[in-house]
Amino acid sequence: MKRQTGNYFVVTLSAIIMVLTVYIGNSWLKRFKVDMTEEKLYTLSNGSKDILKKLNTPLTLKLYYSKTSANKGTEGLRIFNNYFFYVKDLLEEYVAHSRNNLRLQVIDPRPDTKEEEEASTYGLKKFQLTETEKYFFGLVVENNVGTEKIIEFFDPGQQENLEYEVTRLIYSVINPRKKSVGILSSLPILNDKMTPYMAQLMRMQGKAPQESWIITKLMQEFYDVKNIEPDTEKISGLDILMIAHPKNLSEKTLWAIDQYVLGGGKVLLFVDPYSIVDNVISKARAGAEKKSNLKKLMTKWGVELEEKKLAGDRFLSGVGRMNARMQPQRLLALLECDQRCGAEFKDAITYKLGSMTFLYPGSLRVIDKKQKDKKIYPILGTTNKGNSYEFSTWKLSDPTYLWKNFKDGSKPVHLAYKIVGKFESAFPNGVSVKKKDQKDKVEKEILLTGLKKSTKESAVIVFSDVDFIHDQFSFKNSVFGIGLANENSTLVLNSLEQLGGSRELLEVRSKGRFNRSFDVVDKIEFDAQKNTAEKVSEINKRIESFEKELGELGRKMNEGNIGLIQNEGIKKKKELTKVIAKLKGELRDVKREGREKIEKLGSNLQYLNTLFMPSILLVFGIFFQMRRKKGIRKDS
Amino acid sequence: MMSHSVKTILKKELKSYFTTPLGYVFSIIFLFSIGYVTFESGRGSFFVLRQADLSSFFRYIPWLFLLLVPAVSMRLWAEERKSGTIELLLTLPVTVREAVLGKFLASWAFIGFNLLCTFPIVLTVAYLGQPDYLVILIGYLGSFLLGGAYLAIGCFFSALTKNQVISFICTVVFCYLLTMAGSPPILEFLSTFLHRYFLDLFESLSMIHHFETMGRGVMRVGDLWFFAVIILAWLYGCEAILDEKKAS
Repeated sequence: MKRQTGNYFVVTLSAIIMVLTVYIGNSWLKRFKVDMTEEKLYTLSNGSKDILKKLNTPLTLKLYYSKTSANKGTEGLRIFNNYFFYVKDLLEEYVAHSRNNLRLQVIDPRPDTKEEEEASTYGLKKFQLTETEKYFFGLVVENNVGTEKIIEFFDPGQQENLEYEVTRLIYSVINPRKKSVGILSSLPILNDKMTPYMAQLMRMQGKAPQESWIITKLMQEFYDVKNIEPDTEKISGLDILMIAHPKNLSEKTLWAIDQYVLGGGKVLLFVDPYSIVDNVISKARAGAEKKSNLKKLMTKWGVELEEKKLAGDRFLSGVGRMNARMQPQRLLALLECDQRCGAEFKDAITYKLGSMTFLYPGSLRVIDKKQKDKKIYPILGTTNKGNSYEFSTWKLSDPTYLWKNFKDGSKPVHLAYKIVGKFESAFPNGVSVKKKDQKDKVEKEILLTGLKKSTKESAVIVFSDVDFIHDQFSFKNSVFGIGLANENSTLVLNSLEQLGGSRELLEVRSKGRFNRSFDVVDKIEFDAQKNTAEKVSEINKRIESFEKELGELGRKMNEGNIGLIQNEGIKKKKELTKVIAKLKGELRDVKREGREKIEKLGSNLQYLNTLFMPSILLVFGIFFQMRRKKGIRKDS
Repeated sequence: MMSHSVKTILKKELKSYFTTPLGYVFSIIFLFSIGYVTFESGRGSFFVLRQADLSSFFRYIPWLFLLLVPAVSMRLWAEERKSGTIELLLTLPVTVREAVLGKFLASWAFIGFNLLCTFPIVLTVAYLGQPDYLVILIGYLGSFLLGGAYLAIGCFFSALTKNQVISFICTVVFCYLLTMAGSPPILEFLSTFLHRYFLDLFESLSMIHHFETMGRGVMRVGDLWFFAVIILAWLYGCEAILDEKKAS
């Protein structure tokens, strides 16, 4: 009896030990894990981890997700439910790496509660599911002095960029100051002397005011933007220096840029082998240089713009015309980049941008791939079929000539690079400049010396085109005013945003593909849709021809044969209604065909998975049982 | 590494699954059910979600295991005790620990065999899209560990009673409780009379939480630790009970 009690005591004790061991293990070992997903979906990049390491104030992450409402919602909310678990897991990763500086609160805001009111006050997007149920799915990052930033809604379509968005949000809470951007350009991008009143006055006088490019107005919403004189000895007090189409810069200015970068300054650079905007602006000056030149500095930064070469891609070429007399046609010079241009590089600047237009972009390449102190990432390029081609200025407006001399390539031509790290000076021995002595008022040659190597890590983003930021190629006029023509301006703002962040933020990469759709099923659907599209166009053509005939009848009606025309019209209308009904029937058949194919495939796979292995086991089972019985009978 | 006695018991037990109709019946029911529920025409149907992963497959594994694993484990000791063969087994030159381990490993291997037999679903997903094979592998590992955990609980209850039905019901109830430990309705109910600290303790026992993490392709040391502790603790309990029976 004593032993029995002892054993039950051991069992009870071991149960308690088990519970405690599990609990302690859960709490302590939670952060030790191996992320086996191909895209490292649940692992933070080094950039995010470095930002978290620098955190020294407590922040609260409030993840609002209407889980209870979602469970009552429609089929479509399922995808958001799955995404919620991913977001939560990733945020837990942030917490695990924050040295207890981050606290995650998962809040399910129920109708008419304090939580729901808070979510609305923060400005999170809400969707009305039913009369009472509202659906929230957003994030608030808050510090203890009341600075708060939000992601108003988590869109599953933006899953690849989630880490960048969250890291950026955390970064902006700890660094809330508005950044400053200086523009150094040979083009009149920013005219800070022209006020809207002056522009209006000039227009009234029939003069064309030279206004700032629209891109600078967009930039001014987020940054303090100012001009940098093209002849300067020192650049300071800036968070980002934007250099657009640098031409004939003096040694002194090059020296100033060089020293700015070595001192940790960040640069957004637009170089162009042939700027069409510059061509239009400086057309009065025949023979003026149309290409950018910053070779001396770029060589030290590790990249170069290929001399007298442009980038082209048959599969990205846009349709347009070079002049009013020309018929619209495919132009090699017009590069219309879609998601393919950025997908491979998985960079938050270009990833998922689906519509960027470049005109005569150049080709960038890395000079030396073995870079010690810096990393060079391509962030934008053509497809694998893209190539660079040589050009002569006088042949650039002849599309046929350009096509004739273009050959498809086998690897992407890079249109933009991001360079992060430490740089070396292009002027290791300093630079001599002429300077007026303040006392003698005599011009003297002075040797400027400064940094030979970077003191701090810096970053340069370089694009091989400048025209794409001009109003004509990135904005359009609509009835609602000026609107975006494409995502060119987003590309510029994304670049500024990354440069405005820390070095760590620049290294947060986009995650890869997460959505693993059924390619086979998609293909069946795609083929079915293709067939349907042909039928639809056929129906439309028929309708169009009927309308023509009706128009003709109307004309005859004016001539007086009303009775005849009405009869003819009714007859024709009946005929066409029959034809359309028949065609619509065919259309349904085509659509059904695609759907039936998918359903059949689904049924076959279901049979395979439910019946195949059980049948085999059944056959084996019967066979072995019979053999066993036979064996027993023989033995007996 | 494994003693001779454990190997002998393991082989004998494993063989018994394939020489008696029981093993076949279990496998056929399991394979048919998992195929059916994966493709069932509901919201989470594999073919409706159109994602080249096995989330709809792994989602049902805990629920099928909840019914089928206790069916495997209920006979492990209860049958031996009812038929009286346990006395014979324990008089052989085998320790109770070796006997428990041998029987447990045999049943676990049988569950592993059943999981392997679901390979057509992997072929299906490979045909339809581009799945992440490592995530699938971790999902299978999670399923195997979950099966092991249910089995260890089943072993304990099988040793506790002579009656297979009681053993089955107790295992199902306990496995269900541990599976649902992190579920909001249960936690809400428990919170009415349990202190927050005990509630946290209870929540940390949630099997489905650890299993789902693995199903998403993340292998946490904490999850492996959880399954290892659960399996070893329940097997230890089983050994203690059998020790007591042997002594009496």
